[in-house]
Amino acid sequence: MAEAGVPSRERAAEIYRTYGPAVYRRCLKLLRDKEAASDATQEVFVKLVRDIAKLDDPAIVLPWLYRVATNHCLNVLRNRNRRGETPMELEVASDVAEAPFPDRHLAGTILAQFDEGTRAVAVGVLVDGMGHEELAGALGISRKTVERRLARFLERARKLVSGDEP
Amino acid sequence: MTPRCPSDLALELFLLQPERSPESSHVADCPSCASRLARMREEGDEFRRFVFPRTVEAVEDAMEKRRFRFHWSFVVAPVGALAAIALAVLVPSGPPKDYEYGVKGSGMALAVYVNGGQGTSAAGDGAKVPAGAALRFKVQPAKHDCYLWILSIDAKGEVSRLYPPAGKDPECHDAGPVPGGAVLDGQPGPERIFAVCAPTKKVVWPEVKAAVEAVAKGGPERVRAARSLGGSHSGWMQASLLLEKQP
Repeated sequence: MAEAGVPSRERAAEIYRTYGPAVYRRCLKLLRDKEAASDATQEVFVKLVRDIAKLDDPAIVLPWLYRVATNHCLNVLRNRNRRGETPMELEVASDVAEAPFPDRHLAGTILAQFDEGTRAVAVGVLVDGMGHEELAGALGISRKTVERRLARFLERARKLVSGDEP
Repeated sequence: MTPRCPSDLALELFLLQPERSPESSHVADCPSCASRLARMREEGDEFRRFVFPRTVEAVEDAMEKRRFRFHWSFVVAPVGALAAIALAVLVPSGPPKDYEYGVKGSGMALAVYVNGGQGTSAAGDGAKVPAGAALRFKVQPAKHDCYLWILSIDAKGEVSRLYPPAGKDPECHDAGPVPGGAVLDGQPGPERIFAVCAPTKKVVWPEVKAAVEAVAKGGPERVRAARSLGGSHSGWMQASLLLEKQP
């Protein structure tokens, strides 16, 4: 990594080269479409590259980028869902396969109804299989907040699944 | 993936900074993580070869907050049927300067745009370029029936598929920029790029690859000398351009 300094096209390209693969992989996993993932990756960097240039520690940059990319892609999925395009589907982490949802499509449909913060927690735990502590660090929130948001998500999701909530 | 396996984010950090990652010892002994890492590396390579070249300019422009600094300008050179080549070069705003014309092949023209960190310019045949430069392409087939393949071969005889990406069938391609792009492998030496219009989409990758290997495999001088496909493929619309990769 080069030192952060005067913003330049070369610095932008270097940042993109360094972190682009991670964001692309993230978007590919969530969107499951190479073109859409490519577009989303570019959009995330167009939005953030100037801010990333001020940081030089990957341990800080990557979790932040990951969070932004996740939210961005979830918004893409939500918008697709609203337009009646491809149903929102998510690839659930294999070690949380027993999560109390009937299927991925339903999980995605439910997920689309929550705010960004709650979705980030639900995706982190249920899709990525991240531990609460790790996710808290990645999202820059406390472990208690992770647990609270997850509990809220699960409670409402169960109601949605059972039909208790419209 | 087992409950002990690191998350995707942890593996991303491992890929970026393996020496600092607390997951190093786990992934060294975990077949599941090895498989995940292999897939991640494959997708990362896909980003570097296809996504990065196509999208980096928008990111660079965003850094300078001049998102529309670059644009495609078209220059048409009407010099007869085959030579009516529409050329595009990526130039800064303002008066165009120093156009380069790529190559005119048999029934088609190919322009290769090189971004080696010093801005983007069209490369002439035999151009010296940075060994890790990013490339983009533009083609001008003389006829409509062009199922486009773009591939390259280096001095070691390794053939790289540049378009369409692996897993996609060739599509009928009109004149214009080719989606995506490629990044050179960083190894100095000649790299010849072939653009080929197959007459039908039934022409598959192994056939195109074999046709290139037949004329250009066998060392740096064969790469430099092989300007066109031979044998039964000699009638295809095609163009090729040589790049000399410099350290």
